[in-house]
Amino acid sequence: MTTQLTSAAYVDRLRGDMGPTPYRIWMALLGVLMAAGAVAGLIVFSRGLVVTNLNDIVPWGLWITIDLSAIAMSAGAFLLCAAVYLLGLRQFQPLARTATYLGLIGYSMAVLTLLLDIGRPDRFWHALVYWNPHSVLWEVTMCVTLYFSVLMLEAAPIFGRTAWMQRRWPRIAGSIQSLHKLAPYLAVVGLGLSLLHQSSLGATYGVLKARPIWYRPDLSVLFIVSAMAAGPALTVLVSMLAARLRKGVRVDDHLLDRIAGFIGWVLVGYLYFRFWDAFAMTYTYEPGRTEGLSFITSGPLSFNFWVLEVLLGAIVPIVVLLHKPWRANSLLRMLALGLVVTGLVAYRWDMTMAGQLVIISYLPQEVAATYTTYVPSLIEILTGAGIVAYGALAVTLGIRHLGVVDHTPEPEHEEILESVAAAA
Amino acid sequence: MPPESINRRTFLKVLGAGTAATAGLRAAARASASETSGDSPHRWAMVIDQAKCTGCGYCSQACRAHNDIAPGIEWNTVVRTGELAGKPVYLPRPCMHCEHAPCVEVCPVKASTRRADGIVTMDYDRCIGCRYCQVACPYGARAFNWEAFTGVNPAVPEWGEPEVPRRPRGVAEKCTFCVQRIDRGLALGLTPGVDQAATPACAVVCPVGARVFGDLADPESNVSRLLADHPSYRLREDLGTGPRVYYLPAREEATG
Repeated sequence: MTTQLTSAAYVDRLRGDMGPTPYRIWMALLGVLMAAGAVAGLIVFSRGLVVTNLNDIVPWGLWITIDLSAIAMSAGAFLLCAAVYLLGLRQFQPLARTATYLGLIGYSMAVLTLLLDIGRPDRFWHALVYWNPHSVLWEVTMCVTLYFSVLMLEAAPIFGRTAWMQRRWPRIAGSIQSLHKLAPYLAVVGLGLSLLHQSSLGATYGVLKARPIWYRPDLSVLFIVSAMAAGPALTVLVSMLAARLRKGVRVDDHLLDRIAGFIGWVLVGYLYFRFWDAFAMTYTYEPGRTEGLSFITSGPLSFNFWVLEVLLGAIVPIVVLLHKPWRANSLLRMLALGLVVTGLVAYRWDMTMAGQLVIISYLPQEVAATYTTYVPSLIEILTGAGIVAYGALAVTLGIRHLGVVDHTPEPEHEEILESVAAAA
Repeated sequence: MPPESINRRTFLKVLGAGTAATAGLRAAARASASETSGDSPHRWAMVIDQAKCTGCGYCSQACRAHNDIAPGIEWNTVVRTGELAGKPVYLPRPCMHCEHAPCVEVCPVKASTRRADGIVTMDYDRCIGCRYCQVACPYGARAFNWEAFTGVNPAVPEWGEPEVPRRPRGVAEKCTFCVQRIDRGLALGLTPGVDQAATPACAVVCPVGARVFGDLADPESNVSRLLADHPSYRLREDLGTGPRVYYLPAREEATG
């Protein structure tokens, strides 16, 4: 007779398997957020954008901010791939893998958000067919599509090297892994597309005459430089969290420390550009722009600007990341990197808002600006939270099952790095 | 020859080459953007006389009916802008049909295009609903279909009958200078601006004749003559958008 579990014993066993561990609580939280986001997303698709708090005066809001932030935080991928394959800094290869994976997830988050945001998601492919090369948004769409494809190729070996793939489909796993050989070429293409894309997102705002606070060439530069800080910051932060929270994840703290120092210097550059950008706007009164600047520095966005963007988003991390003993303290370093990421999100939000909440009139003889407000609706917040939860889930699973944070040297990859070094 | 002059000459040469290259780039940019290819003998424009406008809003209502516009959307809005000699002054605002239309330049899929006759039109089957055109328009002339318009149009039939299909949920829309009336009228041999059936509904309905529509390419057209005889202005001319809607400012002698 086979062993039969009594129902009580069965329940006991289930309890043992499903008892609350921090990991399970985390996964349950993400599951709840994603489920809520999925329901909210279905409401958006069935009822239309009327369920948002967006309107004809403020047509872009929370979703655009999430989109811009997710793209910016994917910037670690092109930077680290360029460092490894173009500059020959081979030791950073494991970090490039983490960054590539984060980039892939970040871009997929952006695509999801855009599908929600556009009024006709069934026509998402139109920009690929009906070209308007004069439109920055057309160029952005092409960059998203092409760079997302590059990221998929770059990240494919991560999936190919899992034990599961190798056991189940050894031949496919082998050919996917051989995509490694393309890495140096993909790094060149990725560098070009990424630089173009990150800057174009700034230009999307920067080319609009109708919005004086946006209408300046600096936005492209500020968007790429801030992304160059926040992208690697997220990469290092995720690596450190993974090493802390999961047994068996090996990281080389020396590498993370060096990247953290690099981020500190990027932030110095960013703060410099940001200072002159803002300061130059005070030289003279320009209708709409001057009001926009006051809106940021002393109006409704002033807390975000001074505290989240400048103090916590730049100055504090600069001090922590450039002062070696503090940077060596892993808690302080993680805090600083988290602040960099928060500061970037605050910057994207503030820029998106400042251009739309300050309205410059078209009426004759009236230069006075008028103001409006925007608070995202519950549906927008739930879908946004769902997308962020999806990103967090993908990163968690990537760390757990794909080994995306793993600084153990890989023998098969050494050959490609050797060839890069030989070519350089 | 002193070195300065060589330097200057070299400098001028470089400057010339640079200017030529820039001009080429600009021409290319123009060609791909708001300057639509193709020729048209017409340059449609509207002249709005603020001295005559009483702010009755008939134009908005006729626009609603003829273009079957949802109640939450307004293509043609009438704004009260001030007072002159104790009388209120109004500014009716259709789409400006800009020569260098920001909405046309930014549209990622060329759903917004400018025809050779100067009318900025929308391809509602192509629009993806990104709303970049709304963010880019300095005149707030664009509206988005946040929800489907399914009910009855309260402006029909009192103010006219719909002449164009309803726009679906999720696309941007705006005033078209009643392009359907112009094109059909021209095909029937009518003259837009003269024959009512070929003239935008707002101009036809205006009880005081404050809106005049016509062809700038024809020096004898009513719009050309009005603009030749009266001082006029356009909205936000400083932006260089080149609106095709001209305003005759309110005048004291005309209000009496």
